[in-house]
Amino acid sequence: MVIEARTRREMKIASEDDVALVRRAVRALAEAHRFDVFASAAITTATSELTRNVWVHARGGVALIEEVLDDERVGIRVTFRDEGPGIDDIERVLAGGYSTAKSMGLGLSGSRRLVDEFRLDSTPGRGTCIQILKWHPL
Amino acid sequence: MRGSIPILRMGETLLATVHVDLHDAVAEAFQTDVLTAVEKRRTNGLVIDISGLDMVDTYVARILAQTGQMAKLMGTTTVLVGMRPEVSATLVRMGYMMEGVYTALDLDEGLALLKRLCKRRR
Amino acid sequence: MSHSKYMKTLKLDEAELRSRRAFFALSDEDLARLASLRSFADTHTEAIVDAFYELLLAHPDTRRFFPDESTVRRVKRAQREYFLGLFQGRCDLAYVEDRLRVGAAHERIGLAPRWYLGAYLRYLQIMQDRLFAEFPAAEARAAFASIQRLVWFDVSLAVDTYIAANLDAVGRHQAAIRELSTPVIRVHDRVLLLPLVGAIDSVRAQQVMDTVLLRVVEEKAKCIIIDIAGVAVVDTKVADNLVKTTASVRLLGAQTILTGISAQVARTMVQLGVDISAMHTLSSLAEGIELSLDLLGKTIISKPRGRANSARRGGDL
Repeated sequence: MVIEARTRREMKIASEDDVALVRRAVRALAEAHRFDVFASAAITTATSELTRNVWVHARGGVALIEEVLDDERVGIRVTFRDEGPGIDDIERVLAGGYSTAKSMGLGLSGSRRLVDEFRLDSTPGRGTCIQILKWHPL
Repeated sequence: MRGSIPILRMGETLLATVHVDLHDAVAEAFQTDVLTAVEKRRTNGLVIDISGLDMVDTYVARILAQTGQMAKLMGTTTVLVGMRPEVSATLVRMGYMMEGVYTALDLDEGLALLKRLCKRRR
Repeated sequence: MSHSKYMKTLKLDEAELRSRRAFFALSDEDLARLASLRSFADTHTEAIVDAFYELLLAHPDTRRFFPDESTVRRVKRAQREYFLGLFQGRCDLAYVEDRLRVGAAHERIGLAPRWYLGAYLRYLQIMQDRLFAEFPAAEARAAFASIQRLVWFDVSLAVDTYIAANLDAVGRHQAAIRELSTPVIRVHDRVLLLPLVGAIDSVRAQQVMDTVLLRVVEEKAKCIIIDIAGVAVVDTKVADNLVKTTASVRLLGAQTILTGISAQVARTMVQLGVDISAMHTLSSLAEGIELSLDLLGKTIISKPRGRANSARRGGDL
Protein backbone atom coordinates (compact mmCIF):
# COMPACT_ATOMS: atom_id res chain seq x y z
CA MET A 1 0.00 0.00 0.00
CA VAL A 2 1.54 3.24 -1.07
CA ILE A 3 0.62 6.45 0.68
CA GLU A 4 1.49 9.53 -1.23
CA ALA A 5 1.03 13.09 -0.07
CA ARG A 6 -0.95 15.13 -2.52
CA THR A 7 -0.51 18.49 -0.78
CA ARG A 8 1.64 19.66 2.12
CA ARG A 9 1.35 22.70 4.30
CA GLU A 10 3.65 23.59 7.12
CA MET A 11 2.42 25.82 9.93
CA LYS A 12 4.41 27.21 12.82
CA ILE A 13 3.27 26.73 16.39
CA ALA A 14 4.69 29.76 18.15
CA SER A 15 1.76 31.18 20.06
CA GLU A 16 -1.60 30.40 21.58
CA ASP A 17 -3.28 31.83 18.50
CA ASP A 18 -1.40 29.37 16.28
CA VAL A 19 -3.17 26.51 18.04
CA ALA A 20 -6.49 27.76 16.73
CA LEU A 21 -5.05 28.42 13.26
CA VAL A 22 -3.66 24.91 12.88
CA ARG A 23 -6.92 23.47 14.12
CA ARG A 24 -8.94 25.53 11.67
CA ALA A 25 -6.72 24.53 8.78
CA VAL A 26 -7.30 20.85 9.54
CA ARG A 27 -11.02 21.40 10.03
CA ALA A 28 -11.23 23.15 6.66
CA LEU A 29 -9.45 20.25 4.98
CA ALA A 30 -11.77 17.71 6.56
CA GLU A 31 -14.79 19.65 5.39
CA ALA A 32 -13.38 20.08 1.91
CA HIS A 33 -13.08 16.32 1.66
CA ARG A 34 -16.54 15.85 3.06
CA PHE A 35 -15.55 13.95 6.17
CA ASP A 36 -18.72 13.40 8.15
CA VAL A 37 -19.20 15.58 11.19
CA PHE A 38 -17.94 12.90 13.61
CA ALA A 39 -14.77 12.16 11.66
CA SER A 40 -14.13 15.86 11.22
CA ALA A 41 -14.54 16.47 14.95
CA ALA A 42 -12.18 13.58 15.65
CA ILE A 43 -9.27 14.78 13.53
CA THR A 44 -9.81 18.41 14.52
CA THR A 45 -9.88 17.64 18.22
CA ALA A 46 -6.82 15.37 18.03
CA THR A 47 -5.03 18.16 16.18
CA SER A 48 -6.05 20.69 18.79
CA GLU A 49 -4.80 18.47 21.62
CA LEU A 50 -1.45 17.80 20.01
CA THR A 51 -0.88 21.35 18.82
CA ARG A 52 -1.61 22.63 22.29
CA ASN A 53 0.83 20.09 23.72
CA VAL A 54 3.57 21.41 21.45
CA TRP A 55 2.81 24.97 22.58
CA VAL A 56 2.46 24.25 26.28
CA HIS A 57 5.21 21.69 26.77
CA ALA A 58 7.76 22.60 24.14
CA ARG A 59 7.03 26.29 23.80
CA GLY A 60 7.04 25.99 20.03
CA GLY A 61 7.24 23.71 17.06
CA VAL A 62 5.82 22.91 13.69
CA ALA A 63 2.73 21.21 12.29
CA LEU A 64 2.84 19.65 8.82
CA ILE A 65 -0.61 19.09 7.31
CA GLU A 66 -0.89 16.73 4.37
CA GLU A 67 -3.64 15.37 2.17
CA VAL A 68 -2.69 11.78 1.54
CA LEU A 69 -3.89 9.09 -0.83
CA ASP A 70 -3.61 5.38 -1.04
CA ASP A 71 -5.24 3.12 -3.61
CA GLU A 72 -8.74 3.81 -2.54
CA ARG A 73 -9.23 6.78 -0.36
CA VAL A 74 -8.10 10.14 0.84
CA GLY A 75 -6.84 10.93 4.31
CA ILE A 76 -5.52 13.76 6.40
CA ARG A 77 -2.13 13.38 8.02
CA VAL A 78 -0.69 15.83 10.53
CA THR A 79 2.85 15.66 11.84
CA PHE A 80 3.87 17.61 14.94
CA ARG A 81 7.54 18.32 15.53
CA ASP A 82 9.13 20.13 18.41
CA GLU A 83 12.50 20.43 20.09
CA GLY A 84 11.08 20.42 23.57
CA PRO A 85 11.91 18.34 26.61
CA GLY A 86 10.67 15.13 25.07
CA ILE A 87 8.60 12.46 26.79
CA ASP A 88 10.20 10.34 29.47
CA ASP A 89 7.88 7.43 29.93
CA ILE A 90 6.12 6.99 26.62
CA GLU A 91 4.27 3.82 27.61
CA ARG A 92 2.77 5.46 30.65
CA VAL A 93 1.78 8.60 28.82
CA LEU A 94 0.09 6.64 26.06
CA ALA A 95 -1.77 4.59 28.63
CA GLY A 96 -3.22 7.86 29.83
CA GLY A 97 -1.96 7.62 33.36
CA TYR A 98 0.73 10.26 33.38
CA SER A 99 0.01 11.91 36.70
CA THR A 100 2.55 14.72 36.86
CA ALA A 101 1.48 16.20 33.56
CA LYS A 102 -2.09 15.05 33.53
CA SER A 103 -3.01 17.42 30.79
CA MET A 104 -0.52 15.94 28.37
CA GLY A 105 -1.40 12.39 29.25
CA LEU A 106 -5.06 12.38 28.46
CA GLY A 107 -4.68 14.60 25.43
CA LEU A 108 -2.09 12.24 23.97
CA SER A 109 -3.77 8.94 24.72
CA GLY A 110 -7.13 10.43 23.91
CA SER A 111 -5.95 11.69 20.53
CA ARG A 112 -4.63 8.28 19.66
CA ARG A 113 -8.12 6.86 20.09
CA LEU A 114 -9.57 9.36 17.67
CA VAL A 115 -7.38 8.60 14.69
CA ASP A 116 -6.62 5.63 12.42
CA GLU A 117 -2.85 5.80 12.62
CA PHE A 118 -0.65 7.23 15.35
CA ARG A 119 3.15 7.38 15.53
CA LEU A 120 5.23 8.82 18.32
CA ASP A 121 8.98 9.38 18.48
CA SER A 122 10.50 11.15 21.41
CA THR A 123 13.94 11.60 22.92
CA PRO A 124 14.13 13.24 26.35
CA GLY A 125 16.07 16.45 25.97
CA ARG A 126 15.93 16.42 22.18
CA GLY A 127 12.32 16.69 21.10
CA THR A 128 9.20 14.91 19.97
CA CYS A 129 7.60 13.96 16.69
CA ILE A 130 3.98 12.81 16.58
CA GLN A 131 2.14 11.81 13.43
CA ILE A 132 -1.59 11.19 13.16
CA LEU A 133 -3.64 10.08 10.19
CA LYS A 134 -7.39 9.88 9.68
CA TRP A 135 -8.84 8.28 6.58
CA HIS A 136 -12.06 9.41 5.01
CA PRO A 137 -14.71 7.32 6.72
CA LEU A 138 -16.23 6.31 3.37
CA MET B 1 -10.90 40.07 27.34
CA ARG B 2 -13.32 40.71 30.17
CA GLY B 3 -16.80 40.36 28.82
CA SER B 4 -15.88 38.23 25.78
CA ILE B 5 -18.43 35.71 26.90
CA PRO B 6 -21.78 37.36 27.63
CA ILE B 7 -23.39 36.46 30.94
CA LEU B 8 -27.09 37.18 31.40
CA ARG B 9 -28.91 37.20 34.67
CA MET B 10 -32.46 35.87 34.87
CA GLY B 11 -33.49 36.24 38.49
CA GLU B 12 -31.44 33.75 40.46
CA THR B 13 -30.06 32.08 37.39
CA LEU B 14 -27.11 33.03 35.25
CA LEU B 15 -26.84 32.15 31.58
CA ALA B 16 -23.46 32.17 29.85
CA THR B 17 -23.23 31.56 26.11
CA VAL B 18 -19.84 30.37 24.94
CA HIS B 19 -19.46 31.20 21.29
CA VAL B 20 -15.74 31.74 20.93
CA ASP B 21 -12.63 29.63 21.41
CA LEU B 22 -12.07 29.20 25.11
CA HIS B 23 -8.36 29.58 25.59
CA ASP B 24 -6.02 31.05 28.17
CA ALA B 25 -6.99 34.70 28.58
CA VAL B 26 -10.57 34.23 27.43
CA ALA B 27 -11.07 31.26 29.72
CA GLU B 28 -9.63 33.01 32.71
CA ALA B 29 -11.74 36.10 32.09
CA PHE B 30 -14.81 33.92 31.72
CA GLN B 31 -14.25 32.23 35.04
CA THR B 32 -13.64 35.55 36.73
CA ASP B 33 -16.80 37.06 35.24
CA VAL B 34 -18.90 34.09 36.34
CA LEU B 35 -17.61 34.08 39.89
CA THR B 36 -17.99 37.83 40.19
CA ALA B 37 -21.62 37.56 39.07
CA VAL B 38 -22.31 34.70 41.47
CA GLU B 39 -20.79 36.65 44.32
CA LYS B 40 -22.68 39.86 43.54
CA ARG B 41 -26.18 38.47 43.79
CA ARG B 42 -27.85 35.32 45.06
CA THR B 43 -27.37 32.74 42.32
CA ASN B 44 -28.88 29.29 42.50
CA GLY B 45 -28.07 28.13 39.03
CA LEU B 46 -25.67 28.67 36.17
CA VAL B 47 -26.42 27.52 32.64
CA ILE B 48 -23.46 27.35 30.29
CA ASP B 49 -24.59 27.11 26.68
CA ILE B 50 -21.97 25.51 24.44
CA SER B 51 -24.11 24.97 21.37
CA GLY B 52 -21.79 27.35 19.55
CA LEU B 53 -18.75 25.15 20.09
CA ASP B 54 -17.96 22.79 17.22
CA MET B 55 -14.96 21.44 19.05
CA VAL B 56 -14.26 20.77 22.70
CA ASP B 57 -10.87 19.31 23.54
CA THR B 58 -9.71 18.21 26.99
CA TYR B 59 -8.47 21.71 27.71
CA VAL B 60 -11.85 23.33 27.09
CA ALA B 61 -13.65 20.48 28.83
CA ARG B 62 -11.49 21.03 31.89
CA ILE B 63 -12.22 24.75 31.94
CA LEU B 64 -15.94 24.08 31.82
CA ALA B 65 -15.79 21.45 34.53
CA GLN B 66 -13.62 23.71 36.71
CA THR B 67 -16.01 26.63 36.28
CA GLY B 68 -18.80 24.36 37.47
CA GLN B 69 -16.76 23.28 40.48
CA MET B 70 -15.93 26.86 41.40
CA ALA B 71 -19.55 27.89 41.14
CA LYS B 72 -20.58 24.92 43.25
CA LEU B 73 -18.25 26.01 46.04
CA MET B 74 -20.21 29.23 46.07
CA GLY B 75 -23.54 27.43 46.24
CA THR B 76 -24.45 27.52 42.57
CA THR B 77 -25.48 24.47 40.53
CA THR B 78 -24.16 24.40 36.98
CA VAL B 79 -25.77 22.78 33.95
CA LEU B 80 -24.04 22.45 30.60
CA VAL B 81 -26.42 22.70 27.65
CA GLY B 82 -26.33 22.40 23.89
CA MET B 83 -23.41 20.06 23.47
CA ARG B 84 -23.22 18.97 19.85
CA PRO B 85 -23.46 15.22 19.18
CA GLU B 86 -20.04 15.06 17.53
CA VAL B 87 -18.49 16.95 20.44
CA SER B 88 -20.02 14.51 22.90
CA ALA B 89 -18.87 11.50 20.87
CA THR B 90 -15.34 12.84 20.58
CA LEU B 91 -14.93 13.56 24.29
CA VAL B 92 -16.21 10.14 25.26
CA ARG B 93 -14.09 8.37 22.67
CA MET B 94 -11.02 10.14 24.03
CA GLY B 95 -11.93 8.78 27.42
CA TYR B 96 -13.08 12.06 28.89
CA MET B 97 -16.48 11.20 30.31
CA MET B 98 -17.12 14.59 31.92
CA GLU B 99 -18.61 13.09 35.02
CA GLY B 100 -19.71 15.40 37.79
CA VAL B 101 -21.27 17.83 35.36
CA TYR B 102 -24.99 18.19 34.88
CA THR B 103 -26.04 18.32 31.26
CA ALA B 104 -29.21 19.07 29.35
CA LEU B 105 -30.19 19.26 25.71
CA ASP B 106 -30.92 22.99 25.52
CA LEU B 107 -31.71 26.09 27.53
CA ASP B 108 -35.32 25.09 28.26
CA GLU B 109 -34.31 21.68 29.50
CA GLY B 110 -31.42 23.21 31.43
CA LEU B 111 -33.69 25.61 33.28
CA ALA B 112 -36.19 22.82 34.01
CA LEU B 113 -33.38 20.68 35.38
CA LEU B 114 -32.13 23.49 37.60
CA LYS B 115 -35.63 23.97 38.95
CA ARG B 116 -35.84 20.27 39.88
CA LEU B 117 -32.38 20.27 41.42
CA CYS B 118 -32.92 23.41 43.43
CA LYS B 119 -36.23 22.13 44.73
CA ARG B 120 -34.44 19.01 45.89
CA ARG B 121 -31.85 21.04 47.76
CA ARG B 122 -34.36 22.89 49.84
CA MET C 1 -12.63 -4.11 -8.24
CA SER C 2 -9.64 -2.64 -9.98
CA HIS C 3 -6.70 -4.96 -10.65
CA SER C 4 -4.59 -2.96 -8.24
CA LYS C 5 -7.16 -3.59 -5.56
CA TYR C 6 -6.93 -7.30 -6.29
CA MET C 7 -3.16 -7.10 -5.81
CA LYS C 8 -3.84 -5.67 -2.39
CA THR C 9 -6.64 -8.03 -1.44
CA LEU C 10 -4.68 -11.08 -2.51
CA LYS C 11 -1.65 -9.68 -0.69
CA LEU C 12 0.40 -10.13 -3.83
CA ASP C 13 3.82 -8.87 -2.94
CA GLU C 14 7.30 -10.28 -3.64
CA ALA C 15 7.04 -12.75 -0.80
CA GLU C 16 3.66 -14.11 -1.86
CA LEU C 17 4.84 -14.31 -5.47
CA ARG C 18 7.90 -16.33 -4.47
CA SER C 19 5.80 -18.64 -2.37
CA ARG C 20 3.23 -19.23 -5.09
CA ARG C 21 5.89 -19.86 -7.75
CA ALA C 22 7.61 -22.32 -5.46
CA PHE C 23 4.38 -24.19 -4.89
CA PHE C 24 3.75 -24.41 -8.64
CA ALA C 25 7.39 -25.42 -9.18
CA LEU C 26 7.65 -22.55 -11.64
CA SER C 27 11.38 -21.99 -11.89
CA ASP C 28 13.58 -19.56 -13.78
CA GLU C 29 14.55 -22.52 -15.95
CA ASP C 30 10.92 -22.95 -16.97
CA LEU C 31 10.69 -19.27 -17.82
CA ALA C 32 13.89 -19.41 -19.86
CA ARG C 33 12.57 -22.42 -21.76
CA LEU C 34 9.36 -20.56 -22.50
CA ALA C 35 11.32 -17.54 -23.70
CA SER C 36 13.23 -19.78 -26.09
CA LEU C 37 9.90 -20.94 -27.55
CA ARG C 38 9.01 -17.42 -28.58
CA SER C 39 9.26 -18.03 -32.32
CA PHE C 40 7.19 -21.20 -32.02
CA ALA C 41 4.60 -19.13 -30.24
CA ASP C 42 4.64 -16.41 -32.90
CA THR C 43 4.11 -18.98 -35.66
CA HIS C 44 1.19 -20.70 -33.99
CA THR C 45 -0.56 -17.83 -32.18
CA GLU C 46 -3.23 -17.21 -34.79
CA ALA C 47 -4.23 -20.84 -35.09
CA ILE C 48 -4.21 -21.47 -31.36
CA VAL C 49 -6.29 -18.42 -30.55
CA ASP C 50 -8.78 -19.30 -33.31
CA ALA C 51 -9.13 -22.84 -32.01
CA PHE C 52 -9.57 -21.44 -28.51
CA TYR C 53 -12.48 -19.25 -29.55
CA GLU C 54 -13.98 -21.98 -31.70
CA LEU C 55 -14.79 -23.73 -28.46
CA LEU C 56 -16.23 -20.64 -26.80
CA LEU C 57 -18.32 -19.71 -29.82
CA ALA C 58 -19.58 -23.26 -30.34
CA HIS C 59 -20.97 -23.56 -26.86
CA PRO C 60 -24.33 -21.79 -26.30
CA ASP C 61 -23.54 -20.76 -22.73
CA THR C 62 -20.35 -18.97 -23.68
CA ARG C 63 -21.37 -17.72 -27.10
CA ARG C 64 -23.46 -14.97 -25.54
CA PHE C 65 -20.35 -13.23 -24.26
CA PHE C 66 -19.31 -12.64 -27.83
CA PRO C 67 -22.43 -11.14 -29.41
CA ASP C 68 -20.85 -9.64 -32.49
CA GLU C 69 -17.86 -9.74 -34.84
CA SER C 70 -16.19 -6.68 -33.37
CA THR C 71 -16.29 -8.17 -29.87
CA VAL C 72 -14.78 -11.40 -31.17
CA ARG C 73 -12.05 -9.47 -33.00
CA ARG C 74 -11.27 -7.40 -29.94
CA VAL C 75 -11.17 -10.38 -27.63
CA LYS C 76 -9.01 -12.40 -30.01
CA ARG C 77 -6.53 -9.56 -30.14
CA ALA C 78 -6.39 -9.45 -26.35
CA GLN C 79 -6.08 -13.21 -26.21
CA ARG C 80 -3.18 -13.16 -28.69
CA GLU C 81 -1.36 -10.75 -26.42
CA TYR C 82 -2.15 -12.94 -23.47
CA PHE C 83 -0.90 -16.04 -25.20
CA LEU C 84 2.35 -14.39 -26.27
CA GLY C 85 2.71 -13.12 -22.71
CA LEU C 86 3.34 -16.71 -21.66
CA PHE C 87 6.58 -16.69 -23.62
CA GLN C 88 8.11 -13.50 -22.28
CA GLY C 89 10.36 -15.41 -19.95
CA ARG C 90 9.33 -13.52 -16.86
CA CYS C 91 6.91 -13.99 -14.03
CA ASP C 92 7.27 -10.99 -11.80
CA LEU C 93 4.79 -8.67 -10.08
CA ALA C 94 4.26 -6.75 -13.33
CA TYR C 95 3.34 -10.00 -15.05
CA VAL C 96 0.97 -10.86 -12.22
CA GLU C 97 -0.66 -7.47 -12.41
CA ASP C 98 -1.24 -7.96 -16.13
CA ARG C 99 -2.89 -11.30 -15.53
CA LEU C 100 -5.07 -9.85 -12.80
CA ARG C 101 -6.23 -7.16 -15.20
CA VAL C 102 -7.44 -9.89 -17.53
CA GLY C 103 -9.07 -11.74 -14.65
CA ALA C 104 -10.77 -8.56 -13.46
CA ALA C 105 -12.10 -7.91 -16.96
CA HIS C 106 -13.54 -11.41 -17.22
CA GLU C 107 -15.05 -11.16 -13.79
CA ARG C 108 -16.67 -7.86 -14.68
CA ILE C 109 -18.44 -9.33 -17.70
CA GLY C 110 -19.56 -12.29 -15.64
CA LEU C 111 -17.57 -15.06 -17.27
CA ALA C 112 -17.68 -17.80 -14.63
CA PRO C 113 -14.66 -19.90 -13.61
CA ARG C 114 -15.96 -23.09 -15.22
CA TRP C 115 -15.83 -21.54 -18.70
CA TYR C 116 -12.47 -20.08 -17.99
CA LEU C 117 -11.08 -23.42 -16.84
CA GLY C 118 -12.59 -25.38 -19.71
CA ALA C 119 -11.09 -22.92 -22.14
CA TYR C 120 -7.65 -23.16 -20.53
CA LEU C 121 -7.83 -26.94 -20.86
CA ARG C 122 -8.51 -26.50 -24.56
CA TYR C 123 -5.55 -24.16 -24.79
CA LEU C 124 -3.27 -26.73 -23.24
CA GLN C 125 -4.51 -29.53 -25.46
CA ILE C 126 -3.96 -27.49 -28.61
CA MET C 127 -0.48 -26.48 -27.52
CA GLN C 128 0.43 -30.03 -26.60
CA ASP C 129 -0.53 -31.28 -30.06
CA ARG C 130 1.47 -28.60 -31.80
CA LEU C 131 4.51 -28.94 -29.56
CA PHE C 132 4.73 -32.67 -30.16
CA ALA C 133 4.20 -32.13 -33.85
CA GLU C 134 7.00 -29.59 -34.03
CA PHE C 135 9.67 -30.82 -31.57
CA PRO C 136 11.28 -34.14 -30.67
CA ALA C 137 9.41 -35.92 -27.85
CA ALA C 138 11.83 -35.15 -25.01
CA GLU C 139 11.99 -31.47 -25.86
CA ALA C 140 8.25 -31.25 -26.40
CA ARG C 141 7.63 -32.90 -23.03
CA ALA C 142 9.90 -30.42 -21.24
CA ALA C 143 8.36 -27.47 -23.05
CA PHE C 144 4.85 -28.63 -22.30
CA ALA C 145 5.69 -29.14 -18.64
CA SER C 146 6.90 -25.54 -18.41
CA ILE C 147 3.81 -24.21 -20.20
CA GLN C 148 1.53 -26.15 -17.90
CA ARG C 149 3.19 -24.74 -14.81
CA LEU C 150 2.78 -21.18 -15.99
CA VAL C 151 -0.76 -21.69 -17.27
CA TRP C 152 -1.88 -23.26 -14.00
CA PHE C 153 -0.17 -20.42 -12.15
CA ASP C 154 -2.28 -18.04 -14.24
CA VAL C 155 -5.39 -20.08 -13.49
CA SER C 156 -4.70 -19.80 -9.77
CA LEU C 157 -4.70 -16.02 -10.15
CA ALA C 158 -7.95 -16.09 -12.12
CA VAL C 159 -9.65 -18.22 -9.51
CA ASP C 160 -8.42 -16.02 -6.67
CA THR C 161 -9.75 -13.03 -8.55
CA TYR C 162 -13.21 -14.54 -8.70
CA ILE C 163 -13.14 -15.32 -5.01
CA ALA C 164 -11.94 -11.83 -4.13
CA ALA C 165 -14.63 -10.25 -6.31
CA ASN C 166 -17.32 -12.30 -4.62
CA LEU C 167 -16.08 -11.41 -1.16
CA ASP C 168 -16.07 -7.81 -2.25
CA ALA C 169 -19.72 -8.06 -3.30
CA VAL C 170 -20.56 -9.61 0.04
CA GLY C 171 -18.74 -6.74 1.71
CA ARG C 172 -20.79 -4.22 -0.19
CA HIS C 173 -24.00 -5.95 0.75
CA GLN C 174 -22.92 -5.94 4.34
CA ALA C 175 -22.31 -2.22 4.14
CA ALA C 176 -25.83 -1.72 2.85
CA ILE C 177 -27.24 -3.89 5.58
CA ARG C 178 -25.33 -1.90 8.13
CA GLU C 179 -26.91 1.29 6.96
CA LEU C 180 -30.35 -0.17 7.22
CA SER C 181 -29.58 -1.65 10.57
CA THR C 182 -29.55 1.33 12.88
CA PRO C 183 -33.28 1.97 12.80
CA VAL C 184 -33.96 4.46 15.54
CA ILE C 185 -37.68 4.64 16.15
CA ARG C 186 -39.65 7.27 17.97
CA VAL C 187 -42.00 5.27 20.20
CA HIS C 188 -43.35 8.16 22.17
CA ASP C 189 -42.84 11.86 22.47
CA ARG C 190 -39.13 12.21 23.30
CA VAL C 191 -38.61 8.50 23.70
CA LEU C 192 -36.54 6.64 21.13
CA LEU C 193 -36.06 2.95 20.60
CA LEU C 194 -33.19 1.21 18.85
CA PRO C 195 -33.55 -2.53 18.38
CA LEU C 196 -30.03 -3.75 17.67
CA VAL C 197 -29.85 -6.93 15.66
CA GLY C 198 -26.99 -9.03 14.40
CA ALA C 199 -23.25 -8.83 14.62
CA ILE C 200 -21.63 -5.63 15.77
CA ASP C 201 -18.07 -5.06 14.64
CA SER C 202 -16.11 -1.93 15.51
CA VAL C 203 -17.13 -0.09 12.36
CA ARG C 204 -20.80 -0.76 12.94
CA ALA C 205 -20.51 0.06 16.62
CA GLN C 206 -19.15 3.48 15.74
CA GLN C 207 -21.92 4.08 13.22
CA VAL C 208 -24.55 3.03 15.74
CA MET C 209 -23.23 5.48 18.33
CA ASP C 210 -23.04 8.32 15.80
CA THR C 211 -26.57 7.65 14.56
CA VAL C 212 -27.96 7.42 18.09
CA LEU C 213 -26.47 10.79 19.03
CA LEU C 214 -27.73 12.52 15.90
CA ARG C 215 -31.23 11.19 16.45
CA VAL C 216 -31.29 12.12 20.13
CA VAL C 217 -30.59 15.73 19.19
CA GLU C 218 -32.96 15.65 16.21
CA GLU C 219 -35.85 14.29 18.26
CA LYS C 220 -34.93 16.15 21.45
CA ALA C 221 -35.15 12.80 23.13
CA LYS C 222 -35.06 12.49 26.88
CA CYS C 223 -34.64 8.79 26.73
CA ILE C 224 -33.37 6.14 24.33
CA ILE C 225 -34.05 2.47 24.78
CA ILE C 226 -31.43 0.23 23.21
CA ASP C 227 -32.61 -3.34 22.97
CA ILE C 228 -29.84 -5.86 22.53
CA ALA C 229 -31.83 -9.07 22.57
CA GLY C 230 -31.00 -9.54 18.89
CA VAL C 231 -27.29 -8.91 19.16
CA ALA C 232 -25.36 -12.03 18.25
CA VAL C 233 -22.38 -11.66 20.53
CA VAL C 234 -21.88 -9.23 23.38
CA ASP C 235 -18.13 -9.10 23.95
CA THR C 236 -15.87 -6.49 25.55
CA LYS C 237 -15.93 -4.26 22.50
CA VAL C 238 -19.71 -4.28 22.22
CA ALA C 239 -20.14 -3.72 25.95
CA ASP C 240 -17.56 -0.95 25.87
CA ASN C 241 -19.39 0.72 23.05
CA LEU C 242 -22.67 0.58 24.92
CA VAL C 243 -20.98 2.26 27.87
CA LYS C 244 -19.56 4.96 25.59
CA THR C 245 -22.91 5.47 23.92
CA THR C 246 -24.60 5.85 27.28
CA ALA C 247 -21.98 8.37 28.42
CA SER C 248 -22.30 10.49 25.32
CA VAL C 249 -26.10 10.32 25.31
CA ARG C 250 -25.94 11.63 28.87
CA LEU C 251 -23.88 14.60 27.74
CA LEU C 252 -26.78 15.47 25.47
CA GLY C 253 -29.06 15.50 28.49
CA ALA C 254 -30.77 12.19 27.84
CA GLN C 255 -30.79 8.80 29.48
CA THR C 256 -30.14 5.37 28.04
CA ILE C 257 -32.09 2.28 28.96
CA LEU C 258 -30.54 -1.00 27.94
CA THR C 259 -33.00 -3.85 27.51
CA GLY C 260 -32.98 -7.38 26.21
CA ILE C 261 -30.22 -8.49 28.50
CA SER C 262 -30.31 -12.24 28.74
CA ALA C 263 -28.89 -14.22 31.64
CA GLN C 264 -25.91 -15.12 29.51
CA VAL C 265 -25.18 -11.54 28.57
CA ALA C 266 -25.62 -10.37 32.15
CA ARG C 267 -23.06 -12.92 33.23
CA THR C 268 -20.62 -11.89 30.50
CA MET C 269 -20.92 -8.20 31.27
CA VAL C 270 -20.29 -8.68 34.98
CA GLN C 271 -17.37 -11.03 34.33
CA LEU C 272 -15.85 -8.54 31.91
CA GLY C 273 -16.09 -5.92 34.63
CA VAL C 274 -18.24 -3.63 32.54
CA ASP C 275 -19.25 -0.63 34.59
CA ILE C 276 -22.97 -0.46 34.16
CA SER C 277 -23.63 1.72 37.18
CA ALA C 278 -24.50 4.66 34.97
CA MET C 279 -26.93 2.67 32.86
CA HIS C 280 -30.50 1.60 33.38
CA THR C 281 -30.57 -2.06 32.49
CA LEU C 282 -33.55 -4.34 32.19
CA SER C 283 -34.24 -7.72 30.75
CA SER C 284 -37.33 -6.98 28.69
CA LEU C 285 -38.22 -4.28 26.20
CA ALA C 286 -41.66 -3.90 27.75
CA GLU C 287 -40.13 -2.99 31.08
CA GLY C 288 -37.88 -0.57 29.26
CA ILE C 289 -40.80 1.28 27.76
CA GLU C 290 -42.49 1.54 31.15
CA LEU C 291 -39.30 2.91 32.69
CA SER C 292 -38.87 5.43 29.91
CA LEU C 293 -42.32 6.83 30.54
CA ASP C 294 -41.60 6.85 34.25
CA LEU C 295 -38.45 8.88 33.64
CA LEU C 296 -40.52 11.36 31.72
CA GLY C 297 -42.88 11.65 34.65
CA LYS C 298 -45.64 9.81 32.82
CA THR C 299 -47.59 6.69 33.51
CA ILE C 300 -50.14 4.54 31.71
CA ILE C 301 -53.60 4.47 33.24
CA SER C 302 -56.61 2.45 32.24
CA LYS C 303 -59.68 4.17 30.95
CA PRO C 304 -62.78 4.10 33.22
CA ARG C 305 -64.78 0.85 32.79
CA GLY C 306 -67.23 0.76 29.89
CA ARG C 307 -65.57 3.57 28.05
CA ALA C 308 -63.33 1.50 25.77
CA ASN C 309 -63.85 2.59 22.17
CA SER C 310 -66.68 4.89 23.24
CA ALA C 311 -65.18 7.73 21.24
CA ARG C 312 -65.28 5.70 18.06
CA ARG C 313 -68.73 4.18 18.52
CA GLY C 314 -70.32 7.25 19.92
CA GLY C 315 -71.89 5.50 22.89
CA ASP C 316 -71.60 2.80 25.54
CA LEU C 317 -70.95 -0.77 24.50
